[in-house]
This record gives sequence, structure tokens and C-alpha cells, in this order.
Amino acid sequence: MISKKIVIVGHFGVGKTSLIRRFVEDVFSADYKVTIGVHILKKTVHVNDKEVNLILWDTEGTDDIEEIRKAYLLGTHGFIFVCDVTRPVTYQNIESQTQYLKDNFNKVPILSIGNKSDLLPKGSISEKKEELEFLDMLVSAKEGNNVQRLFEKIAKILS
Amino acid sequence: MTEDEKLALLKTILLTDDREYAESITHKINVLEEILRERHRLSEKVSPIIKEQLDDFTKNIPQNLGPAITESLKIQIENSKDEVVEALYPILGKMIKKYISQEIKVLSEQVNKTAKDTFSMQGIKRKMKSIFTGVSENEIIISDLGNAKVEQVFIIEKGSGILIGSFHLKETVDEDMISGMLTAIKGFVEDAFKQSNHDLQSIEYDLYEIHLHNFHKYYIATAVSGTFTETLENELENFNLEVSQEINKKNLLDSREALEELLLTRYSALKFSNQ
Repeated sequence: MISKKIVIVGHFGVGKTSLIRRFVEDVFSADYKVTIGVHILKKTVHVNDKEVNLILWDTEGTDDIEEIRKAYLLGTHGFIFVCDVTRPVTYQNIESQTQYLKDNFNKVPILSIGNKSDLLPKGSISEKKEELEFLDMLVSAKEGNNVQRLFEKIAKILS
Repeated sequence: MTEDEKLALLKTILLTDDREYAESITHKINVLEEILRERHRLSEKVSPIIKEQLDDFTKNIPQNLGPAITESLKIQIENSKDEVVEALYPILGKMIKKYISQEIKVLSEQVNKTAKDTFSMQGIKRKMKSIFTGVSENEIIISDLGNAKVEQVFIIEKGSGILIGSFHLKETVDEDMISGMLTAIKGFVEDAFKQSNHDLQSIEYDLYEIHLHNFHKYYIATAVSGTFTETLENELENFNLEVSQEINKKNLLDSREALEELLLTRYSALKFSNQ
């Protein structure tokens, strides 16, 4: 079995912890608790008959990715950049943020995803999807939509 | 038909409904009187209502009275500290006494168990040591019980914190998560103090000391219990260095099974010089 370190980054309150908890424990809590420092969880996924052990580093939210302690990002095999689709402030600088990761962690895959897709007005989803086309995937930690798919996708890229 | 008979007929025609109604009320009152008179029947009717009210009251006590009770207790304790100390002292004293006597009992049982083992190789060795050093056998046993012991060893990839291999005496919580957290703590401390040339060397946790020895691609985290002196730390460092050389020589970083076999063989046989 191979182990891969995945670091989840993004602004405050975009739902990084909720996303990981939905994936690992299949639970969701509406209570917001700020992550301090880093929190580590793990889950094994099966990709093409192979077991991939995902070690998930849940970092504290920050407006600027450069503020995250470098020590937490060392040796990362994959990044997940999480935005909140209902708050443009969380994705308006996504390009510069992901560029920073590309510059400093050469060849490490980055998946940019929009969380809280359940909060999008039902009629405007396709419209919003066009607006958020720079994102790799829309997910909902609350309802579980696409969460499993997201982690399987990154495991597949890394395996 | 007489006048009286006519009147009676008229009454019957006009007041039948009212009379029936009055009779039904009288009947109901009689039933109620009967219920009130008979205790068990009354309790049958009233008990569920009282129970419901009591349940509500009990449920709401923390909400309704909690803050008031807490506040009043706070004031009471603040105003009478001496009395509180006086009241708690015997209870706490008893608890501590009980805890210490329990621990002594455990220690004494361990000493007795070891002392009974007189004819084993270790028992004979201990007896000889006692004769030559003049230290009683029981004292040697007690000293042995506090000996440093390697409980767990983790070989962790630097940076990523991915566990490469491990050795443990007892099953513990998830080792992958321990490795990640150890790496995060190590990274945080080294980063926070901006000492890129210096490494975090040990973490004290409960009854354990976790020693971190850095190598090029990985570091070895060794959890040790018991009394661990500086001399023993040097010994452990040298031992880890030997193990690391063996890992590199046999190229075991890519083979977890072989690596863990080596760790098991080496660390389970590790004895510090004072043992």
C-alpha cells in the first residue's frame, strides 16, 4: 500500500475541515470550529485494485497561502485548494495562490474545488458553473455530493 | 283530564330534554365523586399528568436553575474559602492516600513476582549482583522496574511525515497519524524558532520521552519509558545510527516488511548499559 500526503488549503470558513470529516467519518456538523495549526486524518481508497493511503493535512484557513508554515507543505504529494462558491473573496485570487504552489512545489498536482454547492440557487447552477469554470469540481461537504469522487480523483492522479 | 294532569303532560312535553340533560350531568357528577372518593381511581387519572409535569421540571432544571445555582455556589465558595478547603481537604487527602497505597501495592506485587523468580538466569544474576554490591535484592528489583525501555520506534520520511516503518511493544493509536503529527510538531517548532540548522530533539509526553534523530531522508522517533539519563540518550543515538547504517546498506526504505523485521530484531533486543 502506498501512502500519499494531501494538504488541503484555502480561505477561512470555506469548509476544509467539513470536507475531510465528510470523507473520513461521513459526518457533517454545522458548528464552525476554527482549525488551529494543522489537523491530520487518514483514509484508504481503492484505485484500480490498488490501495492508496491518503494522509490528509487540514491546515488553518488563511487569506494568503504564503502565510501557511512551509514545514506543513514540505513533501506534499497533492494539494486541494478549497473555495466557497458563495463567497467570491475566497476564489478571486485563486490564480496567484495556485501559481505560488506551482512555483514552490513543482509538479505537485493541485485540484481547485468549490465547496458549498448545495447553497447555490437551484435555477442558477449551470450559470454559476460557467462562472466557476476555473474550478476542477463543485462539491458539498454538507450533502456529500462529489466528496468521495474528489478524493478518489486525487488518489488516481497520484497512484 | 284534570288541570293537574294537563300541567303534568305539558311539563313532560316541554321539559323532557332539559330533564335528560340534568340527569346526565347528575350522573357525571356522581361518577366524578366516586373517582375522587376512591384513591386508586383518582391516582390513575392524575398520576400521568403529575409525571409529565415532573419530567418537564426535571428536564428544565439545568436550564432554569443552573445559572442561578452556579452563581450562588461561586459566591458561596468565594466568601468561605477556608471552609471549602477544610471540607475538601480530608476528601482529597483520602483520595491521594488511596492512590499512593494502590500504586505501592502494584509495585510491591511486581517486586514479589520478580523476587519469586529466584532460580531463573536473571534471578541468579541479581543475587550475585546483590552479594557483590551490597545492595539488597529488592532494591535492585525496584531500580530495574524504572529502567528505560524502548516502547515504540517510527521511521518517518522527512517533510511529508509519511510512516516508512515502525516497531512497537503494544498496539497504539493510528501510527500514520502519529507520524504526521510528530512531523507537524517538529516542523512547527523548527519553523517558529527560525532555526533551520537546528532540529527538535525530544518531546516529553506523559510517561514517555520521544527522541527524534535526524538522518538525510528520514528521522527516527523513539518513544522511551522509564528513567532515561543523558548517558542512555547517547547510547540510543549510537544505536539508532547503527540501525540507520543497516537500513541504508540493505536499502530497506522501499521494503516496509523487511524494514519492520529489522526494527523488531534490533529494538526488541536493545538493552541499555545500566541493565
